[in-house]
Amino acid sequence: MSNIYKPHIAKVMDIKVETGDIKSFKFQFVDQAAQKVFTWKSGQFLILNIFGVGEAVFTFANPQTRNEFIECSIRKVGLASEAAHELEVGDTVGIRGPYGNWFPFEKWHGKNLLYVAGGVGLAALRSPIEFSLDNKKDFKNITILYGARSPMDLCYKDKFSDWEQVKDTNMILTADKGAEGWKHKVGFVPAVLKEVHPSPKDTVAIICGPPIMIKFVLKELLDLGFTPEQIITTLEMRMKCGLGKCGRCNVKHLYICKDGPVFSYAELKDLPEEY
Amino acid sequence: MAYLISKENIKVLLDALLAVKEVYAPKKDAEETVLFGKLAGSSEWHGDSLLTHTTAKDKVYLQSERFFNIKKDKDGVRIEEAEEPEEIVIFGCRPCDARGFDILNKLFNWNNYVDEYYTKRMEKTTIVSISCLKPESTCFCTSFAKGSPVDATGSDVLLTPLKNGSYLAETFTEKGKGLISNNSKLFAEAAEVDTKEKELFKTEAEAKIVKKIDLAAVKKLMEPAFESAYWDTVHLPCVKCGACTFVCPTCYCFDITEKAFDNINSERVRSWDTCMNELFTRMAGGVNPRTDTKKRFRQRFMHKFNYHVDNFKEELCTGCGRCIKACPVSIDVRKVIEGVK
Repeated sequence: MSNIYKPHIAKVMDIKVETGDIKSFKFQFVDQAAQKVFTWKSGQFLILNIFGVGEAVFTFANPQTRNEFIECSIRKVGLASEAAHELEVGDTVGIRGPYGNWFPFEKWHGKNLLYVAGGVGLAALRSPIEFSLDNKKDFKNITILYGARSPMDLCYKDKFSDWEQVKDTNMILTADKGAEGWKHKVGFVPAVLKEVHPSPKDTVAIICGPPIMIKFVLKELLDLGFTPEQIITTLEMRMKCGLGKCGRCNVKHLYICKDGPVFSYAELKDLPEEY
Repeated sequence: MAYLISKENIKVLLDALLAVKEVYAPKKDAEETVLFGKLAGSSEWHGDSLLTHTTAKDKVYLQSERFFNIKKDKDGVRIEEAEEPEEIVIFGCRPCDARGFDILNKLFNWNNYVDEYYTKRMEKTTIVSISCLKPESTCFCTSFAKGSPVDATGSDVLLTPLKNGSYLAETFTEKGKGLISNNSKLFAEAAEVDTKEKELFKTEAEAKIVKKIDLAAVKKLMEPAFESAYWDTVHLPCVKCGACTFVCPTCYCFDITEKAFDNINSERVRSWDTCMNELFTRMAGGVNPRTDTKKRFRQRFMHKFNYHVDNFKEELCTGCGRCIKACPVSIDVRKVIEGVK
């Protein structure tokens, strides 16, 4: 049997500063054969090992369609993420996974996709966004509504122009507070969503962001006529194993690590708000 | 197959097992507390005690277990896996504790992921249980589908004391058969009268457990009770010490941490954790879905008698009653779950 807790050894290949507290990392396994057979789906997560410090859970930032590296965007917020921010190119880390379920794209063929993200929440949606852009023929229009506290706090600024160039793809950027030279919208994501007024017809809304944003985005989407089945989000909870064994990421009998992290609002609305 | 072993030969058996394997059995520690300890000789075995203070769970599912050593230097990172576990015998645990292992076996193999640390150790463990003639007032094993003072679930060998002082020995696994065939001189074949006596023993022992809970009814009560005001008050005496989870034969929640010795050497460690601790669910950044005692208290009982049943078709409890005895404020699991409304 293989050891489910033993990570693959990987190297830091590239580091990019996204914002004041978010960095994006590219990793590659030392064992290239292992890297080749390592596959994941958008929405799944990995457990990153910072040797000497410990483990922490991060979502795959890139899709399987762009799998030269394994990419994570990490906000400096706790012990392991602080240690991650100290990493330099060439340093060694460990990666185990992939864990959890994924965005069910196969059910969304022929539909419009509406991505709504706030802050570092875009890190969890970059993989599905790029996956759907790479498979654009399977989907109709793709709309990406993304906001952050300020223009400085937007992640992946260097990717927006590539994304927008894909046919029938529309990007709407907003900042809670504008800044000099900011040509996009100013205001909270839910307010901008209301203004943009997307039609729920043949559309799936995929949302990720801070809990307060999720709450008001949900309200707007329901007001716009989206059904709970048309709204998809991804949850985070404290996890240690990622395998449904360590006992801490449950909501009722469901474990976010194995039954999630991707849920429809139809599934979530019947669960207690213990997440 | 059933055998007989005399009271004298039990001690001979223990010494024979000791000679080849580590044997853990109830024994008194320096403070006269009966715990599962490593026997140096059969005379240390404290066979009279019904329930040890803590279970034998920690002999297979270690309280703190090194997953591997990590060496990080200029040549890169090397992971050195833990050494293979030794063969051990857990001798004289009670049916409730043995069934606890059966519950853990399923958890550690759940979801197509095999936890090899637990599983390898369990493969090297032989469990010899002893039927309970005198259950305590805190015992409630008969509330569970398989639970009984003579239940063999999780046991390799079950010993049932007979009136003439000898034990009826039944084997249920290859490991159990091996234990007896390796020591066959100490065993005689049991007669029909002996197995019949076990039936009487069962009736007598089960009759002594007066508290029987309708767990199917408890689950039905719990399902709609998440938001119930019941939880607002029932948790109030709880002091969040976590003793209940520490003495439990089925509590399995764990933490994984890394201990660094210096800039080069560290080890990855799994250790028991408790859902009663605030940090259990607190995320980096401070968000915590179970911030207060009420939520954590509700989680503990909901997990054991509702959620785990959804996932595994059995409760995460064997009715050993240790948590009742260990609780400093006398919270009684039986009352908590029967009172759900």
